[in-house]
Amino acid sequence: MTRRALVPAALVVALAAFPLLQLTVGGFNYWLHMLLIVFMYVAMASSWNLLGGYAGYISLGHSAFYGIGGYVTGALMTFGGMSPLWSAPLAGVACFAIGLPVGLITLRTRGPAFIISTIALLMLARLALDNTESLGGADGLSLPLPDLPADTQKLPFYYGMLAVAIAAVYTSYRIRHAKLGLGLRAIAEDEVKAEAAGIPTAMYKIVAFALSAVFIAIAGGIWGYYLTYLKPTIFFQILTSAEIVLMAILGGRGTVAGPVIGAIVLVAADELVVAKLGSTELNLAAKGAAMIVVLLAFPDGIVGTLKARGRLPRMLDWG
Amino acid sequence: MIDQLQVVILGATLGGVYALMASGLTLIFGVMRIVNIAHAAFMVLAAYLAFWAFTLYHVDPLWSVAIVMPILFALGAAVYRLLFARIADRRRYTEMTVLLSFALALVVEGVTGFLFTGVYRTTTPDYASDAFDLGPFYVPKGQLYATVLSLVLLGGLLAFLRLTRTGRAIRATMQNRAAAQLVGVNVRRISTLTFGIGTALAGASGALFSFLFPFFPSKHWQLIASLLALIVLGGMGSLLGTFVGAMLLSIASAVVSDRFGPTWSPATFFLALFVILLVRPHGLFGKKAEL
Amino acid sequence: MTLLEVEQVSAGYPDGPNILDGVSLAVERGQTCCVIGPNGAGKSTLLKTICGLLRPRTGAVVFRGEVISGLRPDQILARGISFVPQDRSLFPDMTVRENLKMGGYTLRDRKKLAERIAAVCAMFPVLAERHAQRARTLSGGQQQMLAMGRALLLDPELILLDEPSIGLAPQIVQQVFDAVARLRAAGKTIVMVEQNARKGLECADRGCVLDLGRTRLEGPAASLLADPQIEELYLGKRRGGDAAGTPPKAAEEPPA
Repeated sequence: MTRRALVPAALVVALAAFPLLQLTVGGFNYWLHMLLIVFMYVAMASSWNLLGGYAGYISLGHSAFYGIGGYVTGALMTFGGMSPLWSAPLAGVACFAIGLPVGLITLRTRGPAFIISTIALLMLARLALDNTESLGGADGLSLPLPDLPADTQKLPFYYGMLAVAIAAVYTSYRIRHAKLGLGLRAIAEDEVKAEAAGIPTAMYKIVAFALSAVFIAIAGGIWGYYLTYLKPTIFFQILTSAEIVLMAILGGRGTVAGPVIGAIVLVAADELVVAKLGSTELNLAAKGAAMIVVLLAFPDGIVGTLKARGRLPRMLDWG
Repeated sequence: MIDQLQVVILGATLGGVYALMASGLTLIFGVMRIVNIAHAAFMVLAAYLAFWAFTLYHVDPLWSVAIVMPILFALGAAVYRLLFARIADRRRYTEMTVLLSFALALVVEGVTGFLFTGVYRTTTPDYASDAFDLGPFYVPKGQLYATVLSLVLLGGLLAFLRLTRTGRAIRATMQNRAAAQLVGVNVRRISTLTFGIGTALAGASGALFSFLFPFFPSKHWQLIASLLALIVLGGMGSLLGTFVGAMLLSIASAVVSDRFGPTWSPATFFLALFVILLVRPHGLFGKKAEL
Repeated sequence: MTLLEVEQVSAGYPDGPNILDGVSLAVERGQTCCVIGPNGAGKSTLLKTICGLLRPRTGAVVFRGEVISGLRPDQILARGISFVPQDRSLFPDMTVRENLKMGGYTLRDRKKLAERIAAVCAMFPVLAERHAQRARTLSGGQQQMLAMGRALLLDPELILLDEPSIGLAPQIVQQVFDAVARLRAAGKTIVMVEQNARKGLECADRGCVLDLGRTRLEGPAASLLADPQIEELYLGKRRGGDAAGTPPKAAEEPPA
């Protein structure tokens, strides 16, 4: 194992061992809950980064896949009696399959028109779920409760989210160093030149689009089961998209470590500062204001800015 | 047959309002290449101002158009100077404007929600629930007044752009920014002015829809998604395209609402967008691949 | 009397290297100066620096005895320098008349504006004939006339022409040079960059050879035309017909 992989590996081991505290000492449910949220956002921001970071195609509608993932998982559990262990990954596969044709259509444009079409996608998905009575319509759908004692109740979700987060970050790392990642970055740099250089830009973009839906969908599936109910107003929020985008940009678009760091910083900030404002409206305004400051002052994000100044610590340089 | 014509009438009388809503967005995109996601958030803010002016001081929302326009003009001009002017020479500028205005929309929504709470509101002047009878048809008074006033404002905008020196400078900047600079147009001033005008138009349409449908702070997402679909359909940056797109979509969504129920009517805009992207990625009136 | 002096100017695009590397040039009032040189020599950059689109990093531009480098483009325009860029920079969806009006944007006096438009139309009658036509529907030659006409609207003392004949069919090129001759006859001082070096020098008083961002040679146009070394390096062999050195390239330098 190279030295570079040491820090992430140690982190994974520590996180995998963390629930032991809950089992032996007890009283760590709050921490498990917070870490679970961090894992979820790490997975989603890293997933979004495949398209928004590497290829430079900003989507503001990726929370559509969060919702679709949640509903596919929930429907398979409720109507198919399937274990979430299988249904959540299946939701990922389903969203990959949905992502291909959607990408095929939306990626015919670029820049603002693409971004707009992603917003329209989210709105359309939400409308569809709002009006599908068999899935509960606007009232939502209750899921079977996990049958576990309170002490260990969070553990399956904790490990599930941890696994998705690891899978997302690892995928992001592998893609960045593969031909696909190189091609996507060339597209972000100059699509016409990339095309001229023989990169199959259309196919790469569509694959990136579909892949970027996968981990978001799985995270949505796990989160739905964790909440024990699904509701369009919760699962198809543009605010979720905003958070994902903000995390990726804050951490550093197009880097492997960026979305991870952005997710940690933002979840922590949300919990420590913004929640203290005591009103969801001000919370929203604060998120917007934070995003404005980041965009104006650090458009390259934490990792990007540090890298440009040659100040990026080795432990954060994940390639 | 009569029923169907009635649906078309209902759609067409809303079309003018949609055109007014989208005109500011188109103008701002045309001059500055800014896709202003916060446009509808400003509309909702203006609707709340009209609501409170009506509730507290009995100001007719048709008159409060004259009040909210200058307020929103000042707000828009300030926002341009404080935010958008700062990123004018960034790489991937248009994409930056989307993200920035997206963040701005969150701020405006948050502040609107904080000031006015999340309760559903509508302004209720008498004409909002009244209609003119025209033989077998009826025309809701509220929709008619709103569309007539919208068309008047759009006509004024067009005359301003065509006939005045400043209007010509705005059009010149839309067509060729570098050339406008070359002949001595202060492009920064024109941009500030245009952003102000665009936001003022958002304000005017907000005051008008305050009595057309119920609104709440997060309503703007649905509105902006529809408006953006509409301007993509119109080819982005073309005022004529915007107008035609607004009329078409407004009528189409009235038909959808009639056939499949009102909850599906916003879906018309989004489906139309995807269909357009499939057959004509640059919109009905778009010329270049500058999207 | 010297109208324009470029003194040891270095300049380039933002964040880019110096394209001009100590260029000096002096133009007398009423003279036409043709700047020639290979692609990438900095010819367009020189004009953009004079008219204020780029700022010199060192050196100065002096116009009528006043240092104008560092002023904004509109301030330089107000002092009497108009620039006709290579891409003509018209407003494609405006009519010819509206384009001319935009040329006089800084004139607030409507009567004066109408007078100037009439004067320009007298010089280029084709603009009067087509006054209601959209600029994008004009032919290439007519577009060049419109660009020149628009630049003349403020009655500038100095006109900067960037490759006026670029992209035009050979029979149209002559019309453009005739137009330049009309500007000369009207007493304008002209600095012209021309890819078609021979033709450019033929209708100029002085010539200036720019290479790698420096002035290589400056002198009367006639003597440059007669110089065998210049002929070989920059004018191409006479036997090559209308030899213009290298064929014109679409974009000589990155856009501003």
